[in-house]
Amino acid sequence: MSYMPVIGLEIHVQLSTRSKLFCPCSTDYIGAKPNTNVCPVCLGLPGSLPVLNGLALRYALRIALALRCQVHRRTRFHRKNYFYPDLPKAYQISQYDVPLGYDGMFELRLEDGMIRPIRIRRVHMEEDAGKLVHPTASGRIEGASHSLVDYNRSGVPLVEIVTEPDMNSPEEAREFVSALRQLVRFLGVSDGDMERGSLRVDANISTMLPDGRTSAKTEIKNLNSLRSLERALQHEFERQVRVIEGGGSVRRETRHWDDRAGRTMSMRSKEEVEDYRYFPEPDLLPLLISDDMISSTSAEMPELPWVLEGRLMSSYGLTLKEARTLGERRETATFFERVVAEGVSAERAYSWVTVELKGIANARGLEPWELGITPEGLASLAKMVDRGRISLLSAKDVLARMVETGRSAEEIVSELGLEQIGDEEALRGVALEVIAENQEAVSQFLAGKAGSLNFLVGQVMKRTRGKANPQLARAILEGLLEERRR
Amino acid sequence: MVVDLLGMSAASIASAVRRKEVSPVEVAEAFLGRIRAFDGRVRALLFVDEEGVLRRARELEARVARGEAEGLLLGVPVVVKDNICTKGIPTTCGSRILEGWRPPYDATVVEMLLAEGALIVGKANMDEFAMGSSTEYSAFGPTRNPHDLARVPGGSSGGSAAAVASLFCPISLGSDTGGSIRQPAAFCGVYGLKPTYGVVSRYGLVAFASSLDQIGPFARFAEDLCLAMRAIGREDPRDSTSIRRGRPRFDGLSPRPLKGLRVGLVREISDFRLDEAVESALEGAIRRLEGEGASFVEVSLPHLEHALPCYYIVAPAEASSNLARYDGVRYGPSADAPSVEDLFRTVRGRGFGAEVKRRIMIGTFVLSSGYYDAYYLTAQKARTLVASDFDRAFSACDLILMPTSPTLPFRFGERTSDPISMYLSDVFTIPVNLAGICGLSFNAGYSGEGLPVGLQLIGGWGRDDLLLEVALSLEELFGVPRPAPLGGELS
Repeated sequence: MSYMPVIGLEIHVQLSTRSKLFCPCSTDYIGAKPNTNVCPVCLGLPGSLPVLNGLALRYALRIALALRCQVHRRTRFHRKNYFYPDLPKAYQISQYDVPLGYDGMFELRLEDGMIRPIRIRRVHMEEDAGKLVHPTASGRIEGASHSLVDYNRSGVPLVEIVTEPDMNSPEEAREFVSALRQLVRFLGVSDGDMERGSLRVDANISTMLPDGRTSAKTEIKNLNSLRSLERALQHEFERQVRVIEGGGSVRRETRHWDDRAGRTMSMRSKEEVEDYRYFPEPDLLPLLISDDMISSTSAEMPELPWVLEGRLMSSYGLTLKEARTLGERRETATFFERVVAEGVSAERAYSWVTVELKGIANARGLEPWELGITPEGLASLAKMVDRGRISLLSAKDVLARMVETGRSAEEIVSELGLEQIGDEEALRGVALEVIAENQEAVSQFLAGKAGSLNFLVGQVMKRTRGKANPQLARAILEGLLEERRR
Repeated sequence: MVVDLLGMSAASIASAVRRKEVSPVEVAEAFLGRIRAFDGRVRALLFVDEEGVLRRARELEARVARGEAEGLLLGVPVVVKDNICTKGIPTTCGSRILEGWRPPYDATVVEMLLAEGALIVGKANMDEFAMGSSTEYSAFGPTRNPHDLARVPGGSSGGSAAAVASLFCPISLGSDTGGSIRQPAAFCGVYGLKPTYGVVSRYGLVAFASSLDQIGPFARFAEDLCLAMRAIGREDPRDSTSIRRGRPRFDGLSPRPLKGLRVGLVREISDFRLDEAVESALEGAIRRLEGEGASFVEVSLPHLEHALPCYYIVAPAEASSNLARYDGVRYGPSADAPSVEDLFRTVRGRGFGAEVKRRIMIGTFVLSSGYYDAYYLTAQKARTLVASDFDRAFSACDLILMPTSPTLPFRFGERTSDPISMYLSDVFTIPVNLAGICGLSFNAGYSGEGLPVGLQLIGGWGRDDLLLEVALSLEELFGVPRPAPLGGELS
């Protein structure tokens, strides 16, 4: 046996409340002019005091409950003290000895359907810091003559989720983060966007030796996508193995992932660990979590991803893979269900939503439900194909036009005259012309090359500019050719 | 001027203004004149907002003329301690590190005062960040005791106390973390109330030790103390520690008959050395109260001796965190420095005075990993013991009577070389903050040299109203405290 990575994650989830954790300022900082969503509280001005955002607490509780955590009924905030220009009070209000949730469990469902239990050590609330802006080409501090600070993000509510080191491969770590991202989206508590920083992951990794001993762990920072998480862990694991095989030992330290260079670099040694001088935040009262609050939060809990997937499989006969594709975002699944409710078969609806609509959405950087197409609109289009009124090919074109113009399928079809030629006589005429002009293909077909029929059907479609009903065209061509064979 | 505005109570001024017997502008002019004449000697104020006060007085005058003016403190000049944020008006906390800072917002108490028609005259001097008992630690020079300019006015709210004693205003606000209202009130011969923790909003009070800080009023008349508490003793949603349920009520307070009042005397006080004048003032007060029918019981505060060391762990711990934000990045004086660390070091090294640095060091030490349990946690346990001592005592009495400070106002420089002797000045006031209860200092007479002697009434949690009602009665007994004999022209 060889080496095995042992991975634990610390994940910061930015909550999607409208106001900040301890003041009424807006949390909508992306694209906002620097230092416009600020007040004395989130600027840490002398004399200001925090007041807890009740909704943020509720959101955090939702996460804790969905991760099947125990909940501390009497919890509190601590101050984590350190100096940094983006931290306006020089302390972060966070939780320390009594986190909101602890001892949870997440069942990570791997692609093969196997379940890998990941233990959750703690779930706690804290406030975000501001952002340093370095006016250099790279945006990094190196070489900057000065730095600017934007406090729009200061005080935005975060939930930190810490797992036990229960993952044994970079893929598992990626799968876990992906599943967690899906979970917070389902819970409606975060947009879970890693690129925008709504979901931030720090990874701890150590290496288990063949003899069962484990190396010191390193912490990896700057993981801004699922891909960089997986790559960074792979590289770091390989580095640790090289160190061990070279007779050295892994140093306990924090390492920075350089996505472009594809490697991790030492940031600081854990020996020079900072003393945060935690103590209970005197400006906030201890927080009492009542039975009422727990039961009402449980009651408002939406359908969770794994429940939805099970239902998609049992109600619509989808495979696990299909259910997962559809259930990745709840909005997609809901869209699908509404298309089916309009009378489209599950199989067709699945393909319309996850292939056609998804394709158009991806090209625009949107999600299928964000295109302005309603499930009813898509269903009416799908039904036109089902009934043979238009070809699948033209239907795809119609869908693109629906997205572009916002008009209905019916309008577009009639305007473009896309209604299929289902008239046997008319098609027979076209087929005869095609046979007359493509003698070579005809001979090949008669000589036993069945594929030539497709070519001839294609010619019919071409002549009718796609309006021919392809099944009908094929049947007519086949009939005519069989006549020749005799 | 028909009436002696300077000698009037705030309540009389407000009603005279309401009845249009005197205009707010006349009131403002009178007090500004007094400040101009005497603050050069007393140095109670760090900033006088002459322009703002007159502008506001004229606005009020117009509103009074239209019959639209309402408010408990109509046209009453009020001075606030310089650690209370005033929008657009310098708020330095007596520190170089906040020199030039003008807050973009008003503290809740300032909003409340303005809503009641008060005129914010200026900002009172204080020990830097409220750390001190004499105002000698103000970065802008000490305030003098108006009763004897060679002596300290007490602190840290020395400027606020001296301002009232000097008739610069009938009411001022201070803050009390370990005695910073009561001790200067005693030294300057005026009333000072440290309300129950959570009765007055801390929003906009620059934090020293958050779990101990409380804003409270100074006044020469007990009724003005009540008036001030009516104005500022209200719940504030912006302060999470503001009391929501069981708040004391401040309207309709009336002198409380002393007959039948059960007054506790603390046995452990005999362990401490008191100035002779303080001791005899206490004895005199007991005799007079007894004469009025009050009864006395001996109570015990067995953990009293632990209060001071406990306080000097908890308060610096919180202060080390609260004062960490002064880094020259967002406000206050900054510096050119090659790195962020150098910036912090330079700004903080220059900006803080020695006493503040000492307490930041103590606080940082007691919170450090490895020392937290031995110091901070132990202090928290001691704090609980001090609080339960009071609970037990108040089962046997309605309130406790004891000295505010063991000594009379001391001379400048007498204690600055020995921090411990300075700290001991607050030995009787600190336990009240640790327990989160209320305390009131009143003038109980004068020493042979004419120095005021203060005594302290301590009430249980939320019994601020009782303290005030008793103070109203005591005033009938002890008389209104004398104004300071500054120029000799006032009796």
